[in-house]
Amino acid sequence: MGNIIETKNLSKSFHDPVEFQALKNINVSIKQGEFAAIVGSSGSGKSTLLYVLSTLDTDYTGHIFFDGDDLSLKSKNDLAEIRNEKIGFVFQFHYLLPEFTVLENVCLPALKLAKYSEAEIRERAYQKLDLLGLRDQALKKANKLSGGQQQRVAIARALINDPKIIFGDEPTGNLDSKNSENVFEIFKELKEKYNQSIVVVTHDMSFAERTDRIITLSDGEVVSQ
Amino acid sequence: MIQKTPVIRIALTHLLAKKRQTIVAMLGVTFGIAIFIFQAGLMSGFQAYFIDETVNTTANIRIYNEAEKNRKSILAKRDTASSKWIVVQNQKPKDELNKVKNGYQIIAALEKDSRVSGVSPFLGSQAIFKVGIAQIAGRVSGVDIIKENILFDVSKNMRQGDITKLQTIPNGIILGDGLADLLGAKMHDNISITSPLGVTLEMKIVGINHSGLTEVDKSRAYINIRNAQKLLKVDGSYITDINIKLKDFNQAEELAKFYHQKFGFKTVDWKEANASVFSVFKIQNMVTYLIIASILIVSGFGIFNILMMIIYEKMPDIAILKAIGYKDSDIKKIFLTESLIIGVLGGLLGLIIGFLMQKIAGSIRMDIKGFVSMEYLRFNTSPAFYLFAYIFGLVATSIAGYIPARKAAKMDAIDIIRSK
Repeated sequence: MGNIIETKNLSKSFHDPVEFQALKNINVSIKQGEFAAIVGSSGSGKSTLLYVLSTLDTDYTGHIFFDGDDLSLKSKNDLAEIRNEKIGFVFQFHYLLPEFTVLENVCLPALKLAKYSEAEIRERAYQKLDLLGLRDQALKKANKLSGGQQQRVAIARALINDPKIIFGDEPTGNLDSKNSENVFEIFKELKEKYNQSIVVVTHDMSFAERTDRIITLSDGEVVSQ
Repeated sequence: MIQKTPVIRIALTHLLAKKRQTIVAMLGVTFGIAIFIFQAGLMSGFQAYFIDETVNTTANIRIYNEAEKNRKSILAKRDTASSKWIVVQNQKPKDELNKVKNGYQIIAALEKDSRVSGVSPFLGSQAIFKVGIAQIAGRVSGVDIIKENILFDVSKNMRQGDITKLQTIPNGIILGDGLADLLGAKMHDNISITSPLGVTLEMKIVGINHSGLTEVDKSRAYINIRNAQKLLKVDGSYITDINIKLKDFNQAEELAKFYHQKFGFKTVDWKEANASVFSVFKIQNMVTYLIIASILIVSGFGIFNILMMIIYEKMPDIAILKAIGYKDSDIKKIFLTESLIIGVLGGLLGLIIGFLMQKIAGSIRMDIKGFVSMEYLRFNTSPAFYLFAYIFGLVATSIAGYIPARKAAKMDAIDIIRSK
């Protein structure tokens, strides 16, 4: 009960430059409120799995059920709406728009969703920045912040629409150990306080070991979960 | 601070981040539109002026009689049924008159026609004009000057003298200004004209006329139709042409056909009479618009170029916007907005510069004497023309912007994220 994501016989192949099966018959499920880590050596298909699960990659066979919906039946625009409303992303690189302020960056997904008024969106953005200890940085340009701060802004942006799940693709990959620890604490707090589902791809075993669950991939197959 | 439509905000940010290139792309459009306004404005202004002048100097419809040059021999006419060979050598055209028979009755009938606003009889002849030893070959137009004035507004073009003098002074003549210059003749001078039949009349200059069409002004003189009849040794009912002015000159073509059937004489409408000029216009317009189109294509490349630069530089932005739920169409909108901003601002500046170029060039005294004579360049300054130029520019910029915009929309977020 309460599976936010469930896959059935999920496979994916790359055809270029040579035929290569990146994911083989994957059957995994992520529960609501679960904090899971996907690990594996490089080339094991862990990032590929994350992109497929997070609807960014649609070139797969099998089924993914997200919040009860079969994603293989959705159009590109439907998937964009799902990402906007229900998914938050934190990548290795922060991907903030450099010319925009911190506050504006955090607001971007909410302005697209347009569920709240502009004033409310701004209020909510401040709440998320508070959560991450960045309220005083709100009006600075995004490119004026330190690497650790930028990654926390990216997390605030991922949270703005209260997503069902957050996907992290090596979220601590560019950070020093102190900032990595910081990001981990934030994820943990989100999970514990707000029952936030989080799936993180990482090669940092010390990070992975402290999550609820480790999904290990090898050569495109799930070897333990 | 934050705008409801992040799309426009992002577009503006992109352009501001590349100020110099944006301005160059904008100036490309500005230049294109300004040239459009100037060049096409000059062309269409000139053509409108020329058509105006021709409509004023050519009859909407002209009815005339043409002598049959290739008539059948009398023998051939008699033996129509037989299959005999009939050869008549060295046959001359019949000494037939180019007279419009019952011309004055036809005129009376036409004057009752509700679609007609003026009818004028005409008898033309070649003539040699002589003042002292100066001799010029030209044409005399024998007219009823009052009726002619209704058709061609002769009085408006009088440089000196008065058209009514042609009625009141029995041997009055009105010369074209070019002709008067060539002869060295002035108002009230005496002048002699000699017809091809050898008849010479002594005339007195009662007016100098300037129609605006250089060729006409260099060769034509108005005289009373009675004097023309004297020159050609014909009777008082003899006329060669009937010129008609219509209430709506666009009806000329169909009415010309109608009168041809009704009266049996040849008819020609003003468009047909000036067909060669209109075909020159067509080529002229084609060349003009080709030049303008190529300028706008070049400015299109400028826009294309800057957008491609922005897209490659902002690939991470495109990736994250797609990841957080912006649709392909939103991404397309961002870059289309950028090209439109360039087009709208560059175009507006182009309209202003084009307008100023027209004003400046239009205020310089040129005294052009060619096809037509004008003191100043004439431009098409109608708002519709400006609007057309602007829309043309916007269409060109949106096409130039559409290709990069589509490319950006099609970019794959994962490819960008993976390559980071």
